[in-house]
Amino acid sequence: MRDIILSMKGIEIAFPGVKALNKVDFSLAKGEVHALLGENGAGKSTLIKCLTGVNHKDAGTIVYKGKEINPSSPQEAIELGISTVFQEINLCQNLSVSENIFIGRQPMRAGRVFWKEINRRASEILERFDVHIDVTRPLQHYSTAIQQIVSIARAVDIKADVLILDEPTSSLDENEVERLFGVVRELKRAGMGIIFITHFLDQVFEISDRITVLRNGNLVGEYAADEITKLELVTAMIGKDMIKIFDLKPPTVAEGADVMLAADRLGAPGAIDEISLTVKKGEMIRFAGLLGSGRTETAQLLFGVVKPTHGQMTLKGKPTVVKSPSDAIGKNMAFCPEDRKRDGIIGDLTVRENIMLALQSRRGMLKPIPRQEQQELAEKYIKMLGIATPDAEKKVGELSGGNQQKVILARWMATDPEVLILDEPTRGIDVGAKAEIQRLTLELCANGVSVVFISSELEEVIRCSNRILIMRDGKKAGELDGPFGEHTQSDILKIIAGEGASA
Amino acid sequence: MCVHKRSVFAKLSNPKYIMVLATIGIFLVIYLAGALAYGGKGFTSVRTFLNLFIDNAYIGVSAVGMTMVLIAGGIDLSVGAVAALTGMFIAYGNSVLGIDPFLCIAAALVVGVSLGLLMGAMIQYLNVPPFIATLTGMFLARGSTALISAESIGISHPAFDALAKWKVVLYAPSFENGFEWVKVKPTAFINFYVLLFVFMILLGTYLLQATRFGRNVYAIGGNEQSAKLMGLPVARTKVLVYGFNGLCSVLAGVAYTLYVKSGWCQSLSDMQLDVISSAVIGGTLLTGGVGYMFGTFCGVLLKSLIPALITFNGNLLSWWGKIATGALLLLFIVLQRVVVASSDKKKH
Amino acid sequence: MERIIRSKLTWAAVAELLILLVCLIIRPDFFSISYQPQNGVLYGSLIDILNRSAEITIIAMGMTLVIATGGTDLSVGASVAVAGALALRLMRWDIYAYPTPGDWSITPFPLVILASLVVCALMGAFNGFLVSRLKIQPIIATLILMVAGRGIAQIITTGKQFTILYSPYKFISQGSLLFLPAPIVIMAVVVAAVALFTRKTAFGLFVESVGVNPSASRVSGLNSKRVVLLVYTLTAFLAGISGLIYSSRIMSNDSNNAGKDYELDAILSVVIGGTSMSGGKFNLAGTVMGSIIIRTIITFVYYFSIAAEATMAFKALIVAVVIVLQSEPVRARLAKRSQMRTAMKGGDVRA
Repeated sequence: MRDIILSMKGIEIAFPGVKALNKVDFSLAKGEVHALLGENGAGKSTLIKCLTGVNHKDAGTIVYKGKEINPSSPQEAIELGISTVFQEINLCQNLSVSENIFIGRQPMRAGRVFWKEINRRASEILERFDVHIDVTRPLQHYSTAIQQIVSIARAVDIKADVLILDEPTSSLDENEVERLFGVVRELKRAGMGIIFITHFLDQVFEISDRITVLRNGNLVGEYAADEITKLELVTAMIGKDMIKIFDLKPPTVAEGADVMLAADRLGAPGAIDEISLTVKKGEMIRFAGLLGSGRTETAQLLFGVVKPTHGQMTLKGKPTVVKSPSDAIGKNMAFCPEDRKRDGIIGDLTVRENIMLALQSRRGMLKPIPRQEQQELAEKYIKMLGIATPDAEKKVGELSGGNQQKVILARWMATDPEVLILDEPTRGIDVGAKAEIQRLTLELCANGVSVVFISSELEEVIRCSNRILIMRDGKKAGELDGPFGEHTQSDILKIIAGEGASA
Repeated sequence: MCVHKRSVFAKLSNPKYIMVLATIGIFLVIYLAGALAYGGKGFTSVRTFLNLFIDNAYIGVSAVGMTMVLIAGGIDLSVGAVAALTGMFIAYGNSVLGIDPFLCIAAALVVGVSLGLLMGAMIQYLNVPPFIATLTGMFLARGSTALISAESIGISHPAFDALAKWKVVLYAPSFENGFEWVKVKPTAFINFYVLLFVFMILLGTYLLQATRFGRNVYAIGGNEQSAKLMGLPVARTKVLVYGFNGLCSVLAGVAYTLYVKSGWCQSLSDMQLDVISSAVIGGTLLTGGVGYMFGTFCGVLLKSLIPALITFNGNLLSWWGKIATGALLLLFIVLQRVVVASSDKKKH
Repeated sequence: MERIIRSKLTWAAVAELLILLVCLIIRPDFFSISYQPQNGVLYGSLIDILNRSAEITIIAMGMTLVIATGGTDLSVGASVAVAGALALRLMRWDIYAYPTPGDWSITPFPLVILASLVVCALMGAFNGFLVSRLKIQPIIATLILMVAGRGIAQIITTGKQFTILYSPYKFISQGSLLFLPAPIVIMAVVVAAVALFTRKTAFGLFVESVGVNPSASRVSGLNSKRVVLLVYTLTAFLAGISGLIYSSRIMSNDSNNAGKDYELDAILSVVIGGTSMSGGKFNLAGTVMGSIIIRTIITFVYYFSIAAEATMAFKALIVAVVIVLQSEPVRARLAKRSQMRTAMKGGDVRA
């Protein structure tokens, strides 16, 4: 039987406009690796954040080692024995490896920091994890893989009982993943409970004992890893949504329509090896696939955020090289990025300013858009997208996530592009708005705009696209041509799970 | 990747050492150039070398505290002002009020450290940028100095003068008449402020390398967010660092005042620039997290080498020194940038 | 109401009014303005404040934009010194032939002005290059010219201090236009020009955008490198104008003291005026206000015969008060109190 060390019941958290967690349960046992799965926006990080003291829950209980807890700060969580290893390594790059493990609690001798002891013990701990390095070198000298293990070593030395690994394998190669898993197995043997957040399904099956799946803030189910198949898992993660979308039809593409954008084995190191695709005028093509499968990287290559090092791209039949976003905008392309905080909103600027920014960039510094026109533009899109703001002069940083996303969408729509690339534009938006956005993009197609739409929501993906490209592990795994029918959804799931035939 | 025996080369290629090595290297290069050009005039004498210490002890003392502030990721513009205030405390307190100069120094210490702690608190708890907070502190100290007295006041007190004059004379054998006579001649001397400089460097080294406080300073400078998440006492450490720098500023003021034997509200007006430049040339990154007391020590010496060279030349305008220092700064800053950029790329 | 309390400009304006009020109480004729027919110019302590604040205000206009992009420019004082040095040298190029100054300049006046300003602009471009292309932190990058710049100024004049009696040059600081002293007019023109350029073109928007989120700005198509380069070049250019005014006042070049601590006053003006040092939205009017406050404090000290050297202490106190009042925690607490009051009255809390 499972020796439960942590039990979360009925957790509810709501942000303005969106219910992030809706009565979610989660439990963890000693010596167990429990994977937490779900696409972005599913609620995984929100759940973890209320365990690590960053978010406050509105309802529900957390029972840890028999006592109810409610950590109010990361400090408190660490003291309770809950440690986290984040994707962005939360250590100090300028300090040595051994120091990172011991800082704040260095052993002292005669009033001086006992360096010899620190280095000795650090080497010892790391050797337990089969890592043999010079612990006196600064942390930044080592790869992310090693740094993660150092992070874990610190948690272990502090005697944590629960270890949360947040997307630990995203930047690791096969050997490094193996080594990490060796560490995890060692910790399991020692009785630690480990929460493993990832989107790599093969790894989930390799290392975990139990799996919990979240979707759109709801608990889909908790399973034993050896009792569920990959297909069932993928279906649980992104399968049939209970919510109906309006009766939307895919855009009609004229027979001899021109090819607007074509990429032939486009790629760049660190992004995508190579991708080939074509988009016709007025077409809506969708990118399906799990997070991390290479969809965003493809978009970044097309738009010039990352410069391609090999391969060809043609725009309206002419070979082009897109050197930068500025270049792309000049060529009538538009890109609505996935990470709206980092690449999207300019928080201190108003809604109006955010909306007309790309348009203004294209016009250049010396030809400002008249205030009247800006106002009209802003009002037009506020109405069209249903942006909840008292007026166009509110700072974008003060809006809710969903509304921020709409503002960014408006920014790109305002440039009247010929090719529009959208990366998860409906994530974190309420259902009604999702439908609105779908309808709008279809209207754009009807007006001759070519749309590349990256999304995890299969229901919408199938309903309104002309073609679907499925990505898996950084490569194109399949391409399906419309019209689509009953079987399409399961076909897509199979390809994502790796069971279907590739195109 | 099994590296147990660290080769000397591997140890040296540790990026943190590169900067200090660069400082030492350039020091040697410039010193050699000076030796070749002015060796005959006495450039290479021990006395000249020790003069580098003597003339710049006050900068060195202040640089100890400034290095710590810079490593923590901050900056302190008030050092010159606090040093000048200290000088005025001693001058006015003794020559006008008749108070024992050492009591004046004690009072200055209290004021200097308090101001430092206050600025640190402003930075930490009110989120005022360090530049602005210490700028305000600088104006406050400078203004207070001027309020005490607008004119320069001389200092004359037996104990104080004795301390200023105190020196340890170094003797060295000198050969005359071709080995027939071996006389021992005084060649150079060390005095109080040199000892103070060396003592502070050693103290600074101890604090930074051997105390938890010092290691926390490095962590905060490296990544304050991570330091917080790791449970380090960030707030307390940051405030204390500025307090310590206040102490160093006061001691620097004492050293300077011993040197010039007066207090004046307009003295040391560019000191913060010299101190920060010395630290940067010594390998302290202005972005925080990296720096060594020994590096700063070398930086102070290197920076003071330039005016020394110009003095020996006698023809060049002293202003070329400023340009040379600027060029040196540019060199080190670009070097820092290159080292940081390349170590970002190079990973195991 | 909450927005007014939260506005940094309000606090700056209040501070200025308070200081002026104190001046008025102590000396009732403080506000008097009289007309001097022989010079054709208005005269009085208020005019004086505006006149003397010209150098800092002009620089602070550029500094506002630099800070808005998230940077700082420490080299403006050096540019002030270089401008004066170059101008004087050009005008007295014939100093060995004619050691005594007279009402002439060997170099044509327009060329003198142009050369000085262009050289300063080049210094600014150097800074901009270091920051935008080499990605060096602005404080560090501008530290170089701060140290070397004064040396350059001294070398230009080979360490000598030139004097001139050339009337067109004298006009820059002593002349008058429309009953106002020339520096005030120059300042007004500069302020207007910068304001127009930032608000009537997309430049201001681009600066703010780059300052708030450089990554998103890039994805949105902005050329942030160009924006940053322009901002530093402009600031050094403005510092050049300031340098010409300064050297005109003393009709010589004083490379030791020209522009001393100007960067500090300029940065303080910007901060008092409400622009945050972390970058983003900027407030030109606030900066002007901030500069005037600083000059008012100095005038206050001078008029009431407190030792001139003590101006620093007063500056420090007022500035400390303004900064504390403007700091986030304090403003948030005051705004909350206003919010609660409104809520208790039954009004809508969201302003």
